[in-house]
Amino acid sequence: MAAGEPGPNEAGRSAPGPSEPAGRAPAIRPFLLTAGRVAGGGAGPPLPVETQVVATSSGLGALDSLAFEQHDLVAASRRPQSVAELAAELRLHLNVVRVLAQDLCTAGHLAVHVPNARTTQDISVLRRVIDGLRAVPDSRGTLRDSG
Amino acid sequence: MVSVPSPTHGAHSVTAVEQPPLPVKLVIAGGFGVGKTTAVGSISEIRPLTTEAAITEVAAGVDDLTHTPGKTTTTVAMDFGCLTIDPTLKLYLFGTPGQDRFGFMWDDVVQGALGGLVIVDTRRLDDCYAAVDYFEHKDIPFAVAVNAFDGEIHHNLDEVRWALDVSEHVPLVVFDARNTGSVRDALLVVLEVALSRAEGTAAG
Repeated sequence: MAAGEPGPNEAGRSAPGPSEPAGRAPAIRPFLLTAGRVAGGGAGPPLPVETQVVATSSGLGALDSLAFEQHDLVAASRRPQSVAELAAELRLHLNVVRVLAQDLCTAGHLAVHVPNARTTQDISVLRRVIDGLRAVPDSRGTLRDSG
Repeated sequence: MVSVPSPTHGAHSVTAVEQPPLPVKLVIAGGFGVGKTTAVGSISEIRPLTTEAAITEVAAGVDDLTHTPGKTTTTVAMDFGCLTIDPTLKLYLFGTPGQDRFGFMWDDVVQGALGGLVIVDTRRLDDCYAAVDYFEHKDIPFAVAVNAFDGEIHHNLDEVRWALDVSEHVPLVVFDARNTGSVRDALLVVLEVALSRAEGTAAG
């Protein structure tokens, strides 16, 4: 049922097929998608960059009915991802991802797990991070880009 | 990426929606070219990713921008990486843009961080003042790490501490941003500051 109602940004009925121009204007089109809205614009603080986003089964079920960036966001969230990772992976501005993720969450397509601000003071979490980091070996080899 | 069969209408087999890990983050700050991204890459389990935030919508009203109309699509790049501590806990490392005028990005990224590491190049000490000031004013646990380019630093640590005017309780270490173990140890110093502060708060 969550899939029944296209969001206000839905690319629209006038464009039945993908009609995206080849040379995208990354700075402008995303903000058209959000209807000019920006994260944190009056509706509470923006989602923290590490906020975890994961597709709901209804979101995955509705994939075919979603267009463009909304589709990509839900598809990329099959595994839990942070807002920052999604922005990097989809080459979208952080704030566009924030706005779209909140829309998709409202529509029931994504679950958005906003981290608890108290975590920074949580001794057991800090200890776990410390222990986990200590377990990192001195050298891990292959991941680094040279230069 | 993970190959998932493309869903078909109606009947698609989706695994149960995964429970995401608890995300925590550390911030790596400092001037341009000081080794932030190198440090992130040395400890991250993925190659550092870059995301961009537009400066226009966040910095609207900032005077400098009003008379530079060409800046309307300016973006700032932010590199980050991550480290899975265990399936329920994931550490993110964000390298913050260094310049003062991008101060707005810092609140955005630093909000909720466990702590910060300010990387210093002793040849350009003043590049890191903004970061040191920021963490001090926000009262966020942090440490200063002098990046030993070519294995050497050009000042001794007492001189660096004096020049940066950081108080005695802020740890100051020398590290090598290219070395995993060295970055790990520098981040551990930050986390120890955060831990002892949290323990102090809990006890008080």
